[in-house]
Amino acid sequence: MSGAATGAPIDGARAIPPLGKGRVDGEAGRVGSGAGLRSGPKIPPDLGLAAEATLPAARGGKGTAFRLSRGALCSLPVGLTLLLGFVAPLATVAAYAFATPKSFDVFRSFTLANFAAIFDPANTVWQSFAWSLGLAVLTVVALAVVAYPIAWGLARSFGRWSGFISVLFVFPLFVSENVRLYGWTLFFLKNGVLDGTLKLVGGAGPEVLYTPGAILFGMVYVYLPFMLLPMTLGLAMVPKDLVEAARDLGASRLLIWREIELPLATPGILIGMLLTFVLAVGAVAESKVLGGQSVIVITHDIEIAFTYAQNWPLGSALALLLTLIVGALSLAALAKLDLDRILGRR
Amino acid sequence: MTTVTKRDALKLLGGAALAAPFAGALPAFAARESELNILCWEGYNSAQVLDPFRAAKSATVKAESLTNDPTMINRLRAGETKVWDLINVNNPWARKAMYPEGLIKPLPKAEFEPFFDKMLPQFKAPYRWAMSDDGKDLLGMAQRFGPYSFVVNTDKVSRKTAEEQGWDLFNDPSLKGKYGILESDDWNVFNIFMIAGINPFKVHDAAEMTAFGETAKKVFGGAKLVGDIAAMNQALVSGEIDLHMTGGTYSVSPARADGHPELRAVTPLKGPIDGKGGISWIEITSTVNNPNLSPLATEFLKYVQDPKVAHTVAFAEGTFNPVAQMGNKACFDLFTKEELDAIQWDSLEEEMSRSAEYDIVPDYDKALEIMTSAKRTKG
Repeated sequence: MSGAATGAPIDGARAIPPLGKGRVDGEAGRVGSGAGLRSGPKIPPDLGLAAEATLPAARGGKGTAFRLSRGALCSLPVGLTLLLGFVAPLATVAAYAFATPKSFDVFRSFTLANFAAIFDPANTVWQSFAWSLGLAVLTVVALAVVAYPIAWGLARSFGRWSGFISVLFVFPLFVSENVRLYGWTLFFLKNGVLDGTLKLVGGAGPEVLYTPGAILFGMVYVYLPFMLLPMTLGLAMVPKDLVEAARDLGASRLLIWREIELPLATPGILIGMLLTFVLAVGAVAESKVLGGQSVIVITHDIEIAFTYAQNWPLGSALALLLTLIVGALSLAALAKLDLDRILGRR
Repeated sequence: MTTVTKRDALKLLGGAALAAPFAGALPAFAARESELNILCWEGYNSAQVLDPFRAAKSATVKAESLTNDPTMINRLRAGETKVWDLINVNNPWARKAMYPEGLIKPLPKAEFEPFFDKMLPQFKAPYRWAMSDDGKDLLGMAQRFGPYSFVVNTDKVSRKTAEEQGWDLFNDPSLKGKYGILESDDWNVFNIFMIAGINPFKVHDAAEMTAFGETAKKVFGGAKLVGDIAAMNQALVSGEIDLHMTGGTYSVSPARADGHPELRAVTPLKGPIDGKGGISWIEITSTVNNPNLSPLATEFLKYVQDPKVAHTVAFAEGTFNPVAQMGNKACFDLFTKEELDAIQWDSLEEEMSRSAEYDIVPDYDKALEIMTSAKRTKG
């Protein structure tokens, strides 16, 4: 009910043909840059870049066969940077995954041997995948529970303190993750801050260090800001007057939360969950520093393949599989999200 | 008249932007007199070692530190011989792998061999690990070395007990949960073999591999933690663990220098490598077979032979180690009593004599695979 009801008037307003200043200026600039267009067919403004592709035909075949629009031209440096810095390494990793095991024959050999080794029933690497995915899911669930009340407070009740409190949560990001995790090690260590303090009063600290529980704690701690901020944004998107209207009509707190707050904040919550899940699946420092390698996560296996084992193709195959799993899960989640609406484009 | 349109200007700017990253490449390739790239273990990348050389030569010196030999060597195998000028790895790799594979080039013998005469007696020329297999070429220079077996807190496990029981300590059920394992998987492969009573530096049959796997499962299953040097020392000092597998002067010296002489690197009295109970390492620094090798590479190798610089290398930040140049009185005299104690100088000679030198495990890949699996399924 609420999503459609509240979204409709806003969306409707934004669907009005572009009379806004920015859009008109944009069109004027574009028309001015191509003389042929003046005598050509009228191009609906909403066609945007697609219209540019038809320009040569509109000019009666004169000029170059293909001309990039200004937008495409301007995005060229970013596009090239992404191509070289993002696509090229990924393509290299993908190519290595199909190279002869323990070789550097990338782009010169093709084999499925690395994947065969991974899927060999005798191989226990599935346990590492299971630990990584399991810990990531638990991290997301724990973060959703921990971050929701804080996000609600930031969006609704902290008032002028919200900014300051947000900074407090974001501030640890300025300190290296390893340093922070070593800090927690000192806290939980035998005769450390916690144990030492409790001993002063006749107690003893719990033995939590070097256990999977300590890993989970570290992940929840490290990724809290990545859940908190999108969640706060999501909750801030819930119109207050809608909540007040529901309250005036007699809805209980639980009903308001279930029927209004949660559905309207879901995009932000889902983005936070997605972000923390992707980060948590790739986490390795927590299992090494706080967990004492009590479990081997998949990123650690990838690291071993690239270092001590010097089997880059196997490491690449593991990385590719992990990317595919995380990519598929992320796409499935993104399919449920309306990013345009979240970003306020319509 | 030529007019420059906005489009032309954009093209020029775009072209310049694209070309910018490559602008420095050609001159850099052509003139490397003032540039040096070093691939090394921790220590040689320290500012204490590099800054005086940078200043003296007005050079740009870049050093990347890694913590295992295979990674460094494979960087060269993957084509980075064009990048690096010096590589600093453990003893067997120069003569057994890098030189036969054409990854490093020999040093001028007449120029460098005299330096070995000033080193400790065991390094006198021709020093085996610095020479090619046929004994003709000098492949690198020796400097840091040390025994590397395990470390104990002598308040909990006496030095005598540790030396006598040796690797069997890790078979003792009463020590389950009281020891750590240093995250150094190549050394861990050696040491799991040692605990299983098997010489690591030979080809192993199926029964030996099975024993290796079972030992790996048991040892990793009984470990309180696996971690880096800082984690091991921290756990020893706090009392979380009483000893840790894989370690020596290199790992424990910072804690000893920090006021914990009770922590001590131990070399077992006996073991499965022709009776030797420990394993030691010796770093060999070689010139990379770089088609455009910096002339500073050999200059740097001479620079670190200087007594003062050798002392700085020994006590570079992070890890403290004996150096071969301590055979030169001018160098030895620079070491204070505390520094000698930190590197366990009192027992260094006997520990080295009880240690076999680091070598290549012929079936390392298989052993590492078994050990990695054991780490996952332990406990």
